[in-house]
Amino acid sequence: MLLAIDSSAGTSAAIFDGETLLAHVEFEDPFGHAENIGQAISDVLQHAGIRAKDLNSVVIGRGPAPYTGLRVGMAAGISLARTLGLKLYGAMVLDAIAFRQQGDLVVTTDAKRGELFYAKYEAGVRTQGPEVMSPEEFFVPSGFSHVTLSCNAEMVGRYAISALASGVNLSDVSALYLRSVDVNISKGKRVTG
Amino acid sequence: MEIRELGPEDLEQVMPLERELFGDEAWLDKTMASELENPNTYYLGVFEEGLIGYAGLSTIPASFSSDVQTIGISASNQGQGLGRALMQLLFDRALALGSEVLMLEVRADNQSAIALYRSMGFEQIDLRRRYYQPSGVDALVMRAKIRQPIVLGIESSCDETGVGIVQGNRLLANALASSMDEHSKYGGVVPEVAARAHLEAIGQVLDKALFEAGITIDKVDAIAVANGPGLAGALMVGIAAAKSLSVAHEIPIYAVNHLVGHVGADVLERGSVQLPTIALLVSGGHTSLLLVRDLLDDVELLGETIDDAAGEAFDKVARVLGLPYPGGPQIDKLAASGNPKAIRFPRGLTLPKDMEKHRYNFSFSGLKTAVARHVEKAQDQGLELNQADVAASFREAVVDVLISKAVAACKEFGVNRLLLGGGVVANARLREYATEVCEREGIELRIPRFSLCTDNGAMIASLGAQLLMNGREPSSLGFSAESTLDVTEVQSL
Repeated sequence: MLLAIDSSAGTSAAIFDGETLLAHVEFEDPFGHAENIGQAISDVLQHAGIRAKDLNSVVIGRGPAPYTGLRVGMAAGISLARTLGLKLYGAMVLDAIAFRQQGDLVVTTDAKRGELFYAKYEAGVRTQGPEVMSPEEFFVPSGFSHVTLSCNAEMVGRYAISALASGVNLSDVSALYLRSVDVNISKGKRVTG
Repeated sequence: MEIRELGPEDLEQVMPLERELFGDEAWLDKTMASELENPNTYYLGVFEEGLIGYAGLSTIPASFSSDVQTIGISASNQGQGLGRALMQLLFDRALALGSEVLMLEVRADNQSAIALYRSMGFEQIDLRRRYYQPSGVDALVMRAKIRQPIVLGIESSCDETGVGIVQGNRLLANALASSMDEHSKYGGVVPEVAARAHLEAIGQVLDKALFEAGITIDKVDAIAVANGPGLAGALMVGIAAAKSLSVAHEIPIYAVNHLVGHVGADVLERGSVQLPTIALLVSGGHTSLLLVRDLLDDVELLGETIDDAAGEAFDKVARVLGLPYPGGPQIDKLAASGNPKAIRFPRGLTLPKDMEKHRYNFSFSGLKTAVARHVEKAQDQGLELNQADVAASFREAVVDVLISKAVAACKEFGVNRLLLGGGVVANARLREYATEVCEREGIELRIPRFSLCTDNGAMIASLGAQLLMNGREPSSLGFSAESTLDVTEVQSL
């Protein structure tokens, strides 16, 4: 049994038995991650008719995504996997969005601050990204389709099951922020004229 | 029928029943009177057209043990389960006070009482020959164990990722990861840096706490988490971890107030919390003066900073003096060789005109500006700056205001206890001055060990445990991070 958790857009959780989806719960509120994460996991377990100790592994969406919300799903998945002794995997959400899309494509999601998270896929293989891109830089190459979907736990789970089966390494469970913390270091201003 | 707590005013009702029940072994009036007024006892009476039964419990603070002092039901009301009901209430009370055992003595010839106690988990541990006089009957000493709940608490309101584990009023583990070093290059806590660090640390800190406590998570009875006040993005990491643990391990969750947690930390230091108390909480994020009459139900905010927190002022002044972050330890070190009276820096909000609106509020931004002005003036005039004097005089101004206001609150509210908490408690002069003033004023000063003063998971676990031990309902799964949570909201439901 695999539990997938994603909070890159809304807050969602999904449970798979092998490749079969048993349940998927999604709260769409893009600002309610901390509020909804407990209920999402609780509901998905209930809908799947299992208990957390029946799980074998957990996969978390590791972004890129707006940071505050992203961390909620990740912290939940990490804590749950650690204390239950489960295997923990991380899925890059643009890969999850691109999964099972046909042909060559570019995937974008909202990176806030007027920017995009971007990745490019050719014949099912990521050839560029993930990266942050300004709308001015962005274009859809000819012959490519443009996919811009919100990710969720079902997509993360389906992608992870397939990727793991084909030997892709999903052991990196660190958050993909793609931006460093931009802080101006104040040198201190004079208080007298 | 009504069951309520008895006080000294009930003595006249208790004594006739005492004499009816215990005859020539009855307590004297003065014995019963002192029992009823003793702050360490808890007496309950059952009333139905007058008193028909009573029971008393004694708990010496921090002894982790309670004694059943007496229990009696009038002859005509026996056999209805009243004795059992009263005993159960004494158990509940002993649990709430952190007791791990409940002791009693019973006449060896009172078979029905002995049977009742055995059925409630008491075992005989001793026999006292001819204990009851004048009859000369032996006493059985019996003991029941009380299992105090194990609570795991998570703290992530600022730059410390803390996971603590307590059992009742005992500390089992207090694991911590700090992102302080990462903030040093910015000269202060950067919320996004703190939140990123929490996510990186939470898994390891959870493991560390469980290892330190020597337990597996299936022994944990409840989860507690600080949901405010603090940095929202940072709080959310702890909240998410806590909620997932609650759901995964099917245990209740308590969302608790970070600031009240600082007060609750003293429970772990002393095995009990002695109230009422004035609490002064000073850190890089808070400067709050509280009146705590009851840890769970009556916490009043007397005042707080209207601009910078005291710890923030230390950081800013350190920067003015060219010292690294965090500023507190740096200034403390430098001030040791300085003269605290060299420069008279302003004491914020202490003038008579401030007393009405800001009696217990603090302000440190004017002080910081005064220090900067002093330093700039010296530089502009090419004078040699005695940094040690500046540091000592600045520190003295901060400490003076903090302790003066806290002591004024003790006096005004007639509360002779002062509890210090928060990272600034590490400041040597603050502790020294507080000790000096409290000694002079006859105020009991309490400063928990430093690891319980700074932000930590154990204090959150402890407050969660208090809620659980007192029979409070857990929080729902849907609570939020509340960056400006009011101190009166001890638990978010």
